[in-house]
Amino acid sequence: MTTTTTTPTTTTPAPSPTAAPAGPPRRTSRRWLSGIALAAPFALLLLGTVLVPMGYALFLSLFTDRLSGLGFDGYRQVFTGLGNYTSVLGDPAFRDSVAHVALYALIHIPVMLAGALVLALLLDSAAVRLRQMWSLAVFLPHAVPGVIAGLIWGYLYSPGIGPLNDILPFDPLGDSGVLPSIVNMATWQWMGYNMIIFYTALQTVPREVLEAARADGAGALRTALSIKVPMIRPTVFVALVFTTIGSLQLFTEPLVLRTFTGTVTSTWTPSLYIYEAAFISNDYGRAAAASILLAVASALLSALVMRLSARRSR
Amino acid sequence: MVLGIPPDAGDGEGRPRTHWSRRSLLRTSTGLGAALLTGGALGGCANVSPGATRVRLWSWLTGMDQYVDAFNSAQRDVHVELSVIAAGVSGGYAQQTNAIRAHNAPDILHVEYQALPQILTTGGLRELTDDLDDLADGFLPAAWQGVRPDGRTWAVPMDFCPMAFFYRKDLFDDAGIRAPRTWEEFGHAASAVRRADPAARITTFPLNDGAFLAGMAWQAGDPWWRIADGSWQVGIDRPGTLRTADYWQDMIGSGRVGSAGTGTQSWTAAMHKGELWGLLGATWSVGMLKKSLPEDTGRWAVAPMPTWDGEPANGVHGGSAFGISAECDVPGAALTFLRWLSTDPAVPRIGAKITFPSPAYRSSRRVAREAYDDSYFIGDPVHDVLDEAATRVPAWTWGPNALSVFSAAADALGPVPTGATTMPRAMHRIQSSAVATMRARGLAVTNEARA
Repeated sequence: MTTTTTTPTTTTPAPSPTAAPAGPPRRTSRRWLSGIALAAPFALLLLGTVLVPMGYALFLSLFTDRLSGLGFDGYRQVFTGLGNYTSVLGDPAFRDSVAHVALYALIHIPVMLAGALVLALLLDSAAVRLRQMWSLAVFLPHAVPGVIAGLIWGYLYSPGIGPLNDILPFDPLGDSGVLPSIVNMATWQWMGYNMIIFYTALQTVPREVLEAARADGAGALRTALSIKVPMIRPTVFVALVFTTIGSLQLFTEPLVLRTFTGTVTSTWTPSLYIYEAAFISNDYGRAAAASILLAVASALLSALVMRLSARRSR
Repeated sequence: MVLGIPPDAGDGEGRPRTHWSRRSLLRTSTGLGAALLTGGALGGCANVSPGATRVRLWSWLTGMDQYVDAFNSAQRDVHVELSVIAAGVSGGYAQQTNAIRAHNAPDILHVEYQALPQILTTGGLRELTDDLDDLADGFLPAAWQGVRPDGRTWAVPMDFCPMAFFYRKDLFDDAGIRAPRTWEEFGHAASAVRRADPAARITTFPLNDGAFLAGMAWQAGDPWWRIADGSWQVGIDRPGTLRTADYWQDMIGSGRVGSAGTGTQSWTAAMHKGELWGLLGATWSVGMLKKSLPEDTGRWAVAPMPTWDGEPANGVHGGSAFGISAECDVPGAALTFLRWLSTDPAVPRIGAKITFPSPAYRSSRRVAREAYDDSYFIGDPVHDVLDEAATRVPAWTWGPNALSVFSAAADALGPVPTGATTMPRAMHRIQSSAVATMRARGLAVTNEARA
């Protein structure tokens, strides 16, 4: 995006004609124009990839494809108002899917963020050698594509192929084991990523503050808990928002595990529910309604977390 | 190549195409994707004769690229462009249904018999009753019935896949077990296999595969759907199906059969280790065994599906047909290709080199039998068993929600191995959810649930 080119320092820069001073009215109109020009790419992308699809989904969610008789003469699109929303909310399969992601989020978010924070603090402390190697090692799982990671873990969990089924006291693909298994997959994948974010934030903590703390007699642990963590709190909250949204949208891991176990149903998470409604049952209205509900839930949760963060940092 | 077609080659309807429309750009990009996927496989269509009518085809059929090449080089009037799409419920149907909705469906769509009524609910297929009238007697009756759910013809049958029992004849012979002819004998054979090798099982019953479950229930003579008086009679938990479910519940519960999905890693591992002595498969299992277990040459045999009470009857698992889009501009050319694909003896001859062809067109079955090398198998000739199976298929109608019932079945049967539910109980659940869903969509439904 850079528009400047490096010029050798020996040449005297000639005043460019466009840089000539212009009268005040022209300047404001030009500022206007450049403002629009600069905002346009973002506005267009936002419109084309977010607002228009969301508007279309909202539109779809108010209609349903009504068949009649045997259904072989095609469907009629009829307005149902909030019919799709009530049918989604009244569907036990959807409620189960929400319960699954809620439980998943309750375990995954604290475990993953706490783990990432501890690793980042360890990396930031003076005691660690081979810092770059460690950070790379922890980050590496994030570089593995989600589906591939899912398959790898699926094989590790499978009885007769992977060792985990024999080692663990429970069946990682069984009724009660599959949720911890999915939490484990996601934590493995995201911990390194969040650790890097936290570590980067820790680098910006002013060294003089840390020196002052040390001069006051604070040990490494005390410095970490009372100086470093409070100073990177905004970063932690941003990571929390992203992780919360990501948890609600849980899709890849259960989709991949479906091929390994019958425990994960076709509607195990809200995202899978939407996928099933749209692409297996061809019920686009119900899928759109569930998508809108998921988007609203994500927005509300993010707003809640942000408000919490604002209150805390006051 | 797909991109080699000049943009002004015309539609075949005399309308020259002078500019790249959005649709043709989309078309080209899907074509390009397919060309990349299939590599050089499409190289044969470099010469498109001017004036040839272009027909777009979406399919995931094994060997379709070679059939299309053969067709394109055999005549100059019609040029078929193939885009390979994901198979069935792994994405193919979603893609086709979306395209129908977006009014940019290809001229020819890939539909399996089981998916045909569900695709018909999109209104995206052209009725072919009069166009195919002359072929009515040429097809296997069950395949012909499969493309005529309501007495109108909606697709051209391509292949047809009756089920059969494949077994390791070498191991069966060593252990002194005979191929079971009834399900009762099958149960005894299953116990005998376990006695001979405690780690081995006679087969698996893949609980994640609703189409397989339907094929097993098909044999018992109570179709899940029927059409009467312009309404759907739904009976997924009627006596025949419940008998099937009871039987397999007992087999799975007593540990005499496994329940892992066919083709999963653990299934493949067990096949390689010789811990699965049999496979409840269909015609396509012939090619699958030959391809994935080449070291097992001379070990497998095929036997007719065991029956209930010795009454010969055969379920079906899969089979493809091809429909023409309701918005197709060139139905005549599309039909020319489909008639060739379905009935020309060249097709099974090509197919016999890549896979095991099981054509729905009866005279093509004779060609396939001569062209196929079945030296992989021992015991009764493969074609004898499977041709016999193809003629004893009871009546069956697929419903307008078959694909979602398959997905509901996989969900409902998932907990069976843990004992959290039983197969008969799951069948009742599938029935009530299927009836509720169909009613909610506005279809005329009669609930035939067993009280």
